[in-house]
Amino acid sequence: MSKLFLSRHWFWFSGISFGLVLLPLLLAMGAFWSYLGEAQWLTYVQDTYIWRVVWFSWWQASLSTVISVSAAVLVARALARRQSFVGRWLLLRCFSVALVVPSIIAVFGIILLHGKYGYVNQLWRWLGGEPQSYVYGLTGILLAHVFFNLPLSSRILLQRLDAISSETWRLSSQLGMTSTDLWRHIEWPYIKGVLPQLSALVFALCFTSFAIVMTLGGGPKATTIEVAIFQAIRFDFDIAKAVYLSLLQMFFCGFILWAGLRLGKPIEIFVSLETTAKNMRPDLRPIVGIVSDTVVLLLATLLVLLPLLAVVIAGINSAWAEVLLDLRLWSAFSNSLWVALSSALLSLLMAAGLLLAQRHWRERYAAASLAVEWMGSVILVVPPLVLATGLFIGLSPHVNVFAINLYIVVLVNALMGLPYMLRVLSVAYLKIARDYDRLSSSLGIQGWHRLRYVEWPILRKPIGLALALVAAMSAGDLGVVALFGSPDIQTLPLLMYQRLGSYQSEAAGVTAVVLLALCLGIFVVLERLLGGSGD
Amino acid sequence: MINFKQVSCRLGDQKFSFNLQLPLGQVVAIMGASGSGKSTLLNLLAGFIQPQTDAGQILLDGQRVDHLEPSQRPVTSLFQDHNLFAHMSVFNNLALGIRASLKLTANEKAQVEAALDQVGLKGLGSRLPKQLSGGQRQRVALGRALVRRKPLLLLDEPFSALDPALRQEMAVLVKSLSQQHQLTVLLVTHEPKDVLLLAETVVFIADGGVHWQGHSKDFLQQKDPYIQAYLGQNC
Repeated sequence: MSKLFLSRHWFWFSGISFGLVLLPLLLAMGAFWSYLGEAQWLTYVQDTYIWRVVWFSWWQASLSTVISVSAAVLVARALARRQSFVGRWLLLRCFSVALVVPSIIAVFGIILLHGKYGYVNQLWRWLGGEPQSYVYGLTGILLAHVFFNLPLSSRILLQRLDAISSETWRLSSQLGMTSTDLWRHIEWPYIKGVLPQLSALVFALCFTSFAIVMTLGGGPKATTIEVAIFQAIRFDFDIAKAVYLSLLQMFFCGFILWAGLRLGKPIEIFVSLETTAKNMRPDLRPIVGIVSDTVVLLLATLLVLLPLLAVVIAGINSAWAEVLLDLRLWSAFSNSLWVALSSALLSLLMAAGLLLAQRHWRERYAAASLAVEWMGSVILVVPPLVLATGLFIGLSPHVNVFAINLYIVVLVNALMGLPYMLRVLSVAYLKIARDYDRLSSSLGIQGWHRLRYVEWPILRKPIGLALALVAAMSAGDLGVVALFGSPDIQTLPLLMYQRLGSYQSEAAGVTAVVLLALCLGIFVVLERLLGGSGD
Repeated sequence: MINFKQVSCRLGDQKFSFNLQLPLGQVVAIMGASGSGKSTLLNLLAGFIQPQTDAGQILLDGQRVDHLEPSQRPVTSLFQDHNLFAHMSVFNNLALGIRASLKLTANEKAQVEAALDQVGLKGLGSRLPKQLSGGQRQRVALGRALVRRKPLLLLDEPFSALDPALRQEMAVLVKSLSQQHQLTVLLVTHEPKDVLLLAETVVFIADGGVHWQGHSKDFLQQKDPYIQAYLGQNC
């Protein structure tokens, strides 16, 4: 009896989750469909501007991927080798921070460092050179993409290297392997397997990156499809063109996802980054290795730390009182906080409903369970701006989209967070099903008790991490919010973007520090509060 | 002669201190409760752990070895698991024992084939470890020990993951190989059967040091309370 009762509950819960995920997607696709007739295909296909945009999207993403991933191999290897490196703690912390820093903050930091009046140019002038302007365009975009993707890639690769058993290291030291032998026989075979998927992930992130390209590029020479969609809607009011570009973008994203899946195993997402294994490697002594590792680790630390430091320094200025007393800042702050928490919670509810359905269907209907996995991946084919564009087109005949913009922002951010949510949660969740389903049912642990004593203790850490990640990413979102932005309803990233654009650098500096504190604060609080300390 | 002179080390809270003399050319069983220091003894000998102070010395035939790198010591280790590189063929796993660059001469390749034959894996050189059974994987590791031609073989519970029939088979193989190649074998085991079948000498470790050492026949009859507790005879 009680079982039936429960199963009816999970049915409704899962049904709502499916609806929340599928309806926006269907609405967006329907909106695109209705515009297919109006699009002047031939004009678009012959438009050299669009082709230039397509080419630039591929070119910048390829360069970003090659640079980020190959540098990450060096960094991960150096980190794996130097487990007692003095700056290891700082570097790993910086890498974690880079995961949740909003792109607008990174862009600001990079401009402060590399802009025409930035620190690098000041140093250059002091050395007697002419100031160079290089940050706007491809160079700046690459700098920002490497800032985000080098830490991400390094962590994934380091995780692979840490998976090498201590027996392997002992064996290799007994066999007298040199650094080159270790690389050929052990390290390379270990990381080779994740490289295709990792590259596909980084490529997809750079290919669909919006805020970075909009702020550092945007001109005719440095525009990506994602930014072109935005421009078509906000500047040209050419919706058919936005639809054409969106379809193009979805086609390319689908191709990248397909290629990544074809090429290798899925990447396991990291739960912790601290390594406890003190491995004994035979190649720690040679001085060449010590010097090269130190240089690599130092450069990686500077790459991430300097822009963040520059932002913090820029935030310390005389405008702070004026900015902090401005009510617009606090209204934007509370909007951002609300967006962050709602997106994360909504994303968690969606993921929980999908996983619950998957668990119930796992044994009976393999296809249905596969469908759940697919829903996570489908989101990856529809980048945020494309989905937002679809919703914009689909909803605007019926409602004033600018009035409900924050709700749409929450919905889109929750959907964007869903793949992360599912990845982080599904491993732990299915492990519970596999290991404890029989035990729990034999002991009669059901419903609330099961949630309380079996699932929560095991899931709280991944839940904390996933919520923290999605919340921090949503707080820093500047993409969806820019599309629906109105002067009345602001968020912190939007305010920051406007101040940057209108050269209010002191106000921008203070706003940046507030935004950075918000994102880091949300991340730390959610992860610690829900995840608990220790195991 | 293997000689441990005042060799001490510390792992976490636990302190170890070993004084031990063992003749060469024998199979020696190292026994003792879990955590007593059996593996630590082997790790010190192989060089995976460094003695804490310079006062301690490890000598082999009168030569100090405690300052040597693991690869320079005349020992080969066999662990319970992870003895093979999972992504490498059986042949290459053995070939690593001769040269880490894997560039072998024709003569050396023949040595690898001969070793495969001796451990009963003739013709399986191109397989990957995952295509072999647990017992076969340990044979590959033994084969590598043969091509390395080091006089000392350190076995750290190498058969504990195998079923009883395989255990016995492996024990017989180790015995015959050690006689054929005049190896000195140090075997960490919990199994009294292994002791009777293989070992001439038993070293019993307790509380981070050598507690008893003697002939294997005497070991099982000991009235020592530690040993009786370990063997489960004090009822």
